[in-house]
Amino acid sequence: MTLSPAELARYHRHLVLDEIGIAGQERLKRARVLVIGAGGLGSPAALYLAAAGAGTLGIVDCDRVEVSNLQRQVLFDTSRISRLKADAARERLESLNPQIVVIAHAVELRAANLREVFGGYDLIVDGTDRLSTRYLVNDGCVILGKPLVAAAIHRFEGQAMTYVPGRGPCYRCLFPEAPDEVVPNCAQAGVLGTLPGVLGAIQATEAIKLILGIGEPLVGRLLTYDALEMRFHEFPFARRRDCAVCGELPTITEPRDTQELCSNAAPDSVRRLTAAGLRTLLGQAASAGALVLVDVREPREFDTGHLEGAINIPVTELQRRMKEIPPQANPVFICRSGSRSLAACAMAVRAGIMLPGHLEGGLLAWAAEVDPTLAVAAAG
Amino acid sequence: MDAVSCTVRIASPLRSYTLGATSVTADGATLREILANLDQRFPGIRFRMVDEQDRIRPHMRLFVNTSEAKGLSESVGAGDTVHVICALSGG
Repeated sequence: MTLSPAELARYHRHLVLDEIGIAGQERLKRARVLVIGAGGLGSPAALYLAAAGAGTLGIVDCDRVEVSNLQRQVLFDTSRISRLKADAARERLESLNPQIVVIAHAVELRAANLREVFGGYDLIVDGTDRLSTRYLVNDGCVILGKPLVAAAIHRFEGQAMTYVPGRGPCYRCLFPEAPDEVVPNCAQAGVLGTLPGVLGAIQATEAIKLILGIGEPLVGRLLTYDALEMRFHEFPFARRRDCAVCGELPTITEPRDTQELCSNAAPDSVRRLTAAGLRTLLGQAASAGALVLVDVREPREFDTGHLEGAINIPVTELQRRMKEIPPQANPVFICRSGSRSLAACAMAVRAGIMLPGHLEGGLLAWAAEVDPTLAVAAAG
Repeated sequence: MDAVSCTVRIASPLRSYTLGATSVTADGATLREILANLDQRFPGIRFRMVDEQDRIRPHMRLFVNTSEAKGLSESVGAGDTVHVICALSGG
């Protein structure tokens, strides 16, 4: 796979590096890299990989561009709002470098399609914003023997690591299982816009090094970055002999989906209440007094407007504050749109609360159907 | 073993307990004592790191300087830094 005159001109600054040169640039051209998530991390990672001449670049994302993405997701501009991210990313990357092939996978990565999606690629860059997908991607890479460059972010902090089959530990060796507590996403926790820029660029750098076979990859080392302190730290970690996926007796031998606690999947033992249904229930409970409304939004949102008599326990604190819910009460969890309240129900069920209630559609539905005077704060 | 003072770097998702502080000081000669001391000042933070059986939770790692702690009996020296690392979800 030789380089054209246009490519020789485009990649000149690479070609003059002894560590890359023409042979290295040709390796980049042959490389097939899959970026999971066209978000904060995937944006800079994909842009730099495209600019560097990674010959085939896949982008997996089933979401659409929202205006609140643009503070950090530098793949997109205002004109792309509402477009499928995978398609908008492909257009942007092809525009940046017409000499590469970009493939849009506008699908949700699941165990059922992982083999098919991963099949055409040699290296995986994980920039997902869901822990369940992060574990799925790791497991898929181990099972299929593909190198992985993983990163994750939260508010002002990020972390990155690289997995190379047969050379070191995987993500599960570091964190064997996802937390069984609710995990706030970027929308709830917030994130410094430049943070994924730093981590995404590190991911692209790691991917390029792996393709070229140069330098020392982040294998067996967790790199952390704290933007507030402007410090990087590095923590060595080893392969676990008892790792569920890369250990000596693996229990995960096929990619499998796990339920995210912040997902919309409702446990069976949850009472789904419509706004009208809750209003009726509140009328009945006025005499019984057993109904407890638990608003699981952040205090700032709660202060803007809430249902009369509701108590406020943010979902991020619910696990440790579950005891504040009276033992004989019938709690109904409430949030803005019904997502956090569903996660709260899952936590309540695990804590032994029978049939917790959840307001479907949240206070937005309440304001639309029951009380238009209720002020509902924006999330986060 | 005499109690010593060390620095504890708090993982981002746990900083709501420390009122946003990225690092705090804590006293203790072992991780168990350090976490107990932390929990006195920031109630609830220990349970986010350690389960009812005193096991470090599988999505958390504790490092004393750059050495991974396998359990709470790990000793901590004066001037050491305990790093609380947590699986992050965002992307």
